[in-house]
Amino acid sequence: MSHNLLLVLPLLLPLLGAVACLLVGQRAKVQAILAGVVQAAWLASASVILYEVSQNGIFATRIGNWPAPFGITFVADLFGALILTSAAVVGLAVWLFSLQGLDFERKRIGYYPLLLLLQMGVSGACLTGDIFNLYVWFEVLLICCFALLSLGGTRAQLEGTLKYVTINLIASGLLLTGIGVIYSLFGSLNMAVLAQQVRQHGHQSMPLLSLTSIFFLTGFGIKSAIFPLFFWLPASYHTPPIAISAFIAGLISKVGIYTLIRLFTLLFVSDLDFMLPLLLVLSGLTMVVGVVGAAAQTDFRKILSFHIISQIGYMLMGLAIYTPLALAGSVFFIVHNILVKTNLFLVSGVVARLHHSFSLKKLGEVYCRQPMLALLFLVSALALAGMPPLSGFWGKFMLAKGGFEAGNYTIVGVSLFVSLATLFSMTKIWNEVFWKNKPASELPIPESAPKATVPTVWLLYTPVVLLFIAILFISVYAEPLIGLAQQAANQLLYTKAYTDAVLNQ
Amino acid sequence: MKTIIFSTAIRLLTPVFLLFSVYILFRGHNHPGGGFIGGLICSIAFVFHVLAHGPGVTSRVFFSVVLYYYSRPKSHSYTRYALRVLRANFRNKRDTDEPHKWSFVFLRIRPLYLVATGLLLAASSGIVSLLGQKPFMTSYWLKFELPVIGSIGTPSLFDLGVYLLVLGVVLQFIFIMSKE
Repeated sequence: MSHNLLLVLPLLLPLLGAVACLLVGQRAKVQAILAGVVQAAWLASASVILYEVSQNGIFATRIGNWPAPFGITFVADLFGALILTSAAVVGLAVWLFSLQGLDFERKRIGYYPLLLLLQMGVSGACLTGDIFNLYVWFEVLLICCFALLSLGGTRAQLEGTLKYVTINLIASGLLLTGIGVIYSLFGSLNMAVLAQQVRQHGHQSMPLLSLTSIFFLTGFGIKSAIFPLFFWLPASYHTPPIAISAFIAGLISKVGIYTLIRLFTLLFVSDLDFMLPLLLVLSGLTMVVGVVGAAAQTDFRKILSFHIISQIGYMLMGLAIYTPLALAGSVFFIVHNILVKTNLFLVSGVVARLHHSFSLKKLGEVYCRQPMLALLFLVSALALAGMPPLSGFWGKFMLAKGGFEAGNYTIVGVSLFVSLATLFSMTKIWNEVFWKNKPASELPIPESAPKATVPTVWLLYTPVVLLFIAILFISVYAEPLIGLAQQAANQLLYTKAYTDAVLNQ
Repeated sequence: MKTIIFSTAIRLLTPVFLLFSVYILFRGHNHPGGGFIGGLICSIAFVFHVLAHGPGVTSRVFFSVVLYYYSRPKSHSYTRYALRVLRANFRNKRDTDEPHKWSFVFLRIRPLYLVATGLLLAASSGIVSLLGQKPFMTSYWLKFELPVIGSIGTPSLFDLGVYLLVLGVVLQFIFIMSKE
């Protein structure tokens, strides 16, 4: 398949799917079918891109046939392709969950078109090779997240969305400022051209580049919820229904960290002596604060939301150590975390659907009533905590080994401690939701609550089982993914392949 | 704001806005203008119409199509039937004394359909070049120039898509906000 077509397929498919969904009006069932077809096609196109990159190396296409420094380039390298593929797997699972796990009203008024446009934004952010275009895709993401988080318009949702949008608009302003400064310094927005220019010694604008990098660190730091800028995340991610929050929580903050890794390996390499210790401190604090915040929560989704923050710390840790092994650990960890976090959110959705609550105080005895669900949760939770041989262990092992080799003993110690605390947190959910006796509920279950019939339950379980299989696959048979992650890290650190693919086609 | 002066002025100005927006749309390739601003100007016409007459009237006048038809009796030939249906739809003349009864279909063009059509046009303008093995959105131009509009190519299609998209989005805002 020609590269020109292949690279735009992950963008075109969701866009055309969204158009089709809009054209059929408010027929939720037709929209669901269309969206499902698109999810499958999206996954297929992402897998083909991943296969092609792993076989033949980085490839690029020039949108509008404009040559590289002038036009927008789309590039697929292993890092982007891996994130895209895991996003597509998660997209398929969330679509399956939405069939039964989302109320009819929300599906009628535009859940599917918004989800598809959000996925288009994710594809764009993963594939673009132009820094301004990257910003545009983040705006697409932000607008779709905004609409999805507030879809249905309950009071809690609007409150959460308002926080989300306010802080993210500030982040976008910072990014735009940074992009403007970069353009005025180097006269280009193409990332490959910039990567060449910042590696030329003695460029007169070099000292200002570190200043610019702070704009990006703050902007994407807000979007990916790094230590001092994370407070919006637990305030907004738990408010919408699970079919929405699973996708957003599982994926969107990882796209932020993806971009940070991309930019700090490609562009902001001039002042690493200052930047890496800063990142190291930030990553340690992010881990600790996230896990400590989770300890205080008693809502299933809020605990998981705080753990997103703590996991972001691990991904940042790989960047901060800045060796091939540690970066490979980060890449592996991002992929693992996208799958596991979404799966945990989906499990919480299934539990809430069957037992009508997210509160740890009201839930109980799930192990006794749904042992299968308990098993699914347990494996995902242990994977999150990093129990061998599950996938989290491999990611953390690579990160810790990279940290030891680079001599960053403190951060490795912190990360291991946080793993233990994560395990404690997961045990808390296990004890409260699955193990303890169900407390006598004061309020009877409302009559209007949706009944869970047998086919409904099967349909709810399907996406969880799908992700469970994916997690088991990358746990037990981790070798190929680790290999890919190491290649991806090499491509990130040695940028010649990237710039060659973009500039010499 | 239902004053007779305003509504009469709007009746005269609406075609001006619409024509000007199309002019702006097509001059956009090499001069200031284009789909985005064209769509905004076009929507001004409808915004004023909504202010003068209310959203119900606007969507009935501009954004709905009524198609009249009747089941053909044996005594009518196909030609006669076709002519009568055409006459009923275009000149709005329906003979009511006949034994047959007219029925109609009412099609409403929702603003969201405009948005979807616009997106589809814009996306397909890029897909054209993929069919020719060129990168996405490579532009193709017709060899000759049309009299008033100028040269036409896939970027014009893209602009038209943006035009419809912007128009649809503004209309959606207007219809929702004027109802509240």
